[in-house]
Amino acid sequence: MTALPEISPPLINASGILSYPEVFRAFEASGAALGGYVTKSVGPAEKMGNENPVVVCPEVEGQPLLNSLALPTQSPEDWETDLAETRLENARLIVSIYGGDSAEFGEVAARMSPFADIIEVNLGCPNKVPGEVTLMESIGQRPDLSGEVIGRVRGATKKPVIAKLSPNSDYLAVAAACMDAGADGLGCGNTLGPGLAIDTGTGKAILAGVTGGISGPALKPVNLRMTYECYARFGCPIIGYGGIESWEDAVEYALAGACLLGIGTAFLGKSTSEAAGLTRRIWEGVQAYLGGAPFSELVGRAHREPAPESARA
Amino acid sequence: MRESVRVIRNLVESPWTNTLFFDREIACEPGQFMMVWLPRLGEKPFTLSYPNGITVKRAGAFTDALTALEPGDTLGLRGPLGRGYPPLERPALIGGGVGIAELRLLALRSESPTFILGGRTAEEILYFDEFQSLGPVKVATEDGSLGEKGLITDLLPVDAGSYAVCGPERMMVACRSVLPDDRTYYAIERYMKCAVGLCGQCTCSGLRVCVDGPIFQGAKLEHMPDFGRRRRSKSGRWEKI
Ligand SMILES: Cc1cc2nc3c(=O)[nH]c(=O)nc-3n(C[C@H](O)[C@H](O)[C@H](O)COP(=O)(O)OP(=O)(O)OC[C@H]3O[C@@H](n4cnc5c(N)ncnc54)[C@H](O)[C@@H]3O)c2cc1C
Ligand SMILES: Cc1cc2nc3c(=O)[nH]c(=O)nc-3n(C[C@H](O)[C@H](O)[C@H](O)COP(=O)(O)O)c2cc1C
Ligand code: FES
Repeated sequence: MTALPEISPPLINASGILSYPEVFRAFEASGAALGGYVTKSVGPAEKMGNENPVVVCPEVEGQPLLNSLALPTQSPEDWETDLAETRLENARLIVSIYGGDSAEFGEVAARMSPFADIIEVNLGCPNKVPGEVTLMESIGQRPDLSGEVIGRVRGATKKPVIAKLSPNSDYLAVAAACMDAGADGLGCGNTLGPGLAIDTGTGKAILAGVTGGISGPALKPVNLRMTYECYARFGCPIIGYGGIESWEDAVEYALAGACLLGIGTAFLGKSTSEAAGLTRRIWEGVQAYLGGAPFSELVGRAHREPAPESARA
Repeated sequence: MRESVRVIRNLVESPWTNTLFFDREIACEPGQFMMVWLPRLGEKPFTLSYPNGITVKRAGAFTDALTALEPGDTLGLRGPLGRGYPPLERPALIGGGVGIAELRLLALRSESPTFILGGRTAEEILYFDEFQSLGPVKVATEDGSLGEKGLITDLLPVDAGSYAVCGPERMMVACRSVLPDDRTYYAIERYMKCAVGLCGQCTCSGLRVCVDGPIFQGAKLEHMPDFGRRRRSKSGRWEKI
């Protein structure tokens, strides 16, 4: 396993949130406490994704968000131009990738590798344009195909490779196949479901894609458990994603075994300065909890067994 | 907030533009927008020109369908979204095309506004009479059918305490070259998906127009070279403006 590069603070955005390098730069410029940024998932060819509406927002605090973006992407060539033009000042860049089959994953990984400090492989997107099959169903729920994808990506890049799992899968089996195929860590995880929302006024499904992945606070217990179980089984670096909106959430994921913490839905409605302020508050809260100890002390401490060395990177 | 509303009136403003009134008033700041949903056709941003109305210029399939709605039809609304105008002193409201309608609520809530309006023809100069009852109005049309013959920039600069500019991006770029950046506000349009700051689609030089805007002070644009230059299409690919 290749160790992940040092990412400090150990907070990042989640893929598909903020998405583009110039947005990351704006966050850096406003003093966000994010040590790394993850791109929107880069696909093998330009894709528009679903028509609007692509989100159903919580009406009351604590309700889930549904999204059905369905992986819009510019072409890998356009991503290359974009990432070459706009470089981050201090933070690390994680490039998220996807493909239709392992060969496509490998091609995208090879093209994005020069720009990336880490490659994150999206295996679990539960959204689709009507008529398609989701990535989650075609690959992410199948240990054999997920392993094949990670094998291809492993062969295409020397950068650390993270397999981002779906909570709607036999994720320990999928993760085992990914780790065997050379993954350096796991992303726990993508959105749940997908779920459905119907508008009572019109009597119609709100999302143009009909169903959408569930994120936000409602997702937290599910992905926290995934983090916990994956850490117990593999003791590898884990990125925790799902409903992180306070320092307490961040500490919980770290205790469960996450060495990096991804923030997504919590940025809903926040301007750049408000979102940057939120990241600082989360990081200050985590530091206060640590009371001077290094963050690595926290990682996996909820487990009875002492944390394996490999996860402390 | 999402809700379904009923159309109570569809007012023809010009051969290209209609105002749709709903059966519900929305509490908003001038400059904020709503995501307007037509099932199966899409969801797009529109500025409130009335507490219960939006003024829509036909530009494509979505706005064709929107302007064809009849009283009794339902549509979905999500919002109000974004950040509107700060309080403006003695503002000159500078509008081009449908941007004129987007300044209407600001006009009603401003003290001593003056108006500089531009369009291709007289038919594009919306709310001329209403604005005249609020303050002095100067007009430029490209064909000379109302006011001076020429471009809106021919009427600039003018003396005012502050400025709000709303119209096609090229027009706003031209206005910016003669207006003071610290006292002028611009309304930026970008294609939007989530409209709540998550997806990054609406970026203008890294600021997300849906949450950092859509109203931006000129001084901010100093650091936004993409203004007037490029925007991201539905896939994220850059396209020229
Ligand atoms: C904050 C905000 C407020 C808005 N308020 C209003 C309003 O009050 N009234 C109103 O009529 N419209 C408003 N718009 C524009 C509106 O949302 C639609 O984008 C527009 O009406 C196009 O509608 P369409 O889907 O029918 O056309 P489309 O089929 O999308 O396109 C028609 C034409 O517009 C061009 N176009 C596509 N994307 C953009 C873009 N991002 N900027 C400029 N041109 C583009 C296309 O190239 C094409 O030529 C606003 C937009 C924003 C972001
Ligand atoms: C609008 C939106 C778009 C997303 N796009 C992607 C994507 O392109 N690739 C991906 O791996 N995950 C994507 N996700 C999932 C997030 O990266 C994250 O795993 C999930 O939302 C859980 O975190 P949260 O509760 O903090 O949002 C998306 C989520 C949302 C809400
Ligand atoms: S439209 Fe999604 S961030 Fe603005």
